[in-house]
Amino acid sequence: MQLKAPAKRIIALYGAFNELLLALGAGDSLAARTVADADIPGLAHLPAIGTHMRPNAELIVQQSPDLVIQLAGRNEALLQTEALRGLGLNVLIFEMNSFEQMFGVMEKLGQLTGREAEASKLIGAWQKRLADLEAHYANQEPVSVFYEVRYPNLLAAGRGGIVDDIMAHAGARNVVTDEKKLVRFNEEALLAADPDAYLVQRGPMNPDPQPLDQRPHYKNLRAVRDGRVLTVDEDFFARPGPRSVDAAEALGRFLHPQAAR
Amino acid sequence: MTAIPYSSSPSVHTSARLWPAFAVLALLWLVSLPLACLPGPVSLSAGQVFHALAAQLGLAAPPQETALMLVVGQIRLARVCLAALCGGALAVAGVALQGVLRNPLADPFTLGISAGAACGASMALALGGIIGAALSGPLSALHISLPGSAALVAPAALLGALLALAGALWLGRGDGGFRRESVILAGIAVAAFLGALVALIKALNEESVTSIVFWIMGSFQGRGWDSLPLLLATLVPGLAAVVWGWRALDVLTLGDEQAAQLGLHVGRARLWLLAGASCMTAGCVAIAGVIGFVGLVVPHVLRLVLGCGHGPLLAGAFFGGGVLLVWADVLARCVLDGGQELPVGVVTALLGGPFFALLVRRRP
Repeated sequence: MQLKAPAKRIIALYGAFNELLLALGAGDSLAARTVADADIPGLAHLPAIGTHMRPNAELIVQQSPDLVIQLAGRNEALLQTEALRGLGLNVLIFEMNSFEQMFGVMEKLGQLTGREAEASKLIGAWQKRLADLEAHYANQEPVSVFYEVRYPNLLAAGRGGIVDDIMAHAGARNVVTDEKKLVRFNEEALLAADPDAYLVQRGPMNPDPQPLDQRPHYKNLRAVRDGRVLTVDEDFFARPGPRSVDAAEALGRFLHPQAAR
Repeated sequence: MTAIPYSSSPSVHTSARLWPAFAVLALLWLVSLPLACLPGPVSLSAGQVFHALAAQLGLAAPPQETALMLVVGQIRLARVCLAALCGGALAVAGVALQGVLRNPLADPFTLGISAGAACGASMALALGGIIGAALSGPLSALHISLPGSAALVAPAALLGALLALAGALWLGRGDGGFRRESVILAGIAVAAFLGALVALIKALNEESVTSIVFWIMGSFQGRGWDSLPLLLATLVPGLAAVVWGWRALDVLTLGDEQAAQLGLHVGRARLWLLAGASCMTAGCVAIAGVIGFVGLVVPHVLRLVLGCGHGPLLAGAFFGGGVLLVWADVLARCVLDGGQELPVGVVTALLGGPFFALLVRRRP
């Protein structure tokens, strides 16, 4: 896609893009937001245009955006963005399942908003911090970790998402080896994997996780016996964005207290 | 539950008595189409909406604001027309199926069509993820990913619905053509199996669960004029088949033996009507997902008003079903704030359930 001029009226249908644009200093270019993104500091005043899964075409058209951005992955969301394309809107769809991809998106957003310099400065700083992390934990034995996306009907973070990349940079190894982003996992496999540490996500997908020692079978996990259980914020860990590097640093500190930076 | 009786005597309503009721229904339908374009998440004055509608129909110069033309002409009017067609088709299919199977609980989805469509759509939604994953390697180098499956969902749903229909008809056939009990059982069997397949697809593709659930709930959100060809391709032949067979529907209410004595080929007529009604339903499901209760409630209400003659019932159902779904869709898009929508299938179920219960209780 070629834009004749930097985008001035952007509607991002996924919170992470809004966070990246705000980090770029392009907050003024945001024309509207999804209902859920009212929580992002600085966006509450923008008009709401439906949800990430079901953006409202009428309200979006009314805003005359020069660019609509959507996250790849959910087909229902893509059905709706196809409809927006049919109405003649510029729609870009990005994947963000790793730091690499997130930096690529950041670079693109920099180009689209005419802020290439800011983008490459931010990316450079993040890359340096990640490289430092990797170097710092290079000689440590990686800690085996399990990341709970949802319980009951246990759902784990697999190899296909940003969570796995955060672990990889924090001296950790995901015990789930499936290539998908979200993996159904049973208690048997969990006990067999017996991770050193257990991360519980709290957020929309897992609103009120039951404490591990109250769950059947979980008392037998080494991570529970050793007290290496950490509850993390879903937006902070599972949503790729400007804070993902912070998440990797925080995880490193939790898993390697003796080698804390 | 006691059945709402199907009078086997000639309708007590003379055609002269039916005209006023008909006129009211047709007028409601005609008035609903433009009026339902007025409300929506974007606040527009009646003048703006009617100006845009006139421009859309080529009766006026288009207004200055392109957004206005898009909102009214491309989004709202398309939704209203699709809802009117789907609602009409579902209600007509309901009349036909209740008549053919002489069962007040029959509805357009009796033959497992909704499960078939859900299965087709789920496969497209989940498979799209797999195809997308295969493509994402080379494309992610460009930081772009393609929506591969979006365009496949409606055709896949249609195919699934038609295959389910064929399966149910094949299972339900017997020596003497189609017996009512066997058709209903066949539909239940097909629906149960396909429902299990949908559950399997969900279990294997956690990423697609939300998309599948959303799709099945039924909605006109994001549907536009481009859905019309596929819908008409199923509605026109389906409607034609049912309308063609309206006299057979009347004769079938006398019971199979009497109908055969009157010279009706019962098995063939039943197949014809089942296929027609289900073909229409398949088209509606493919476009909008599963929308319940329209095909169940509208025929029963209209029987109270128009009597049991199938000619007037079919025509009345087309208008009545259309009006109901058009306004249900208005509710669906206006009731929440911030541009959020309710699935229209949820609205029809919320309205239809209690209403139907009342109807059952109040019957003499």
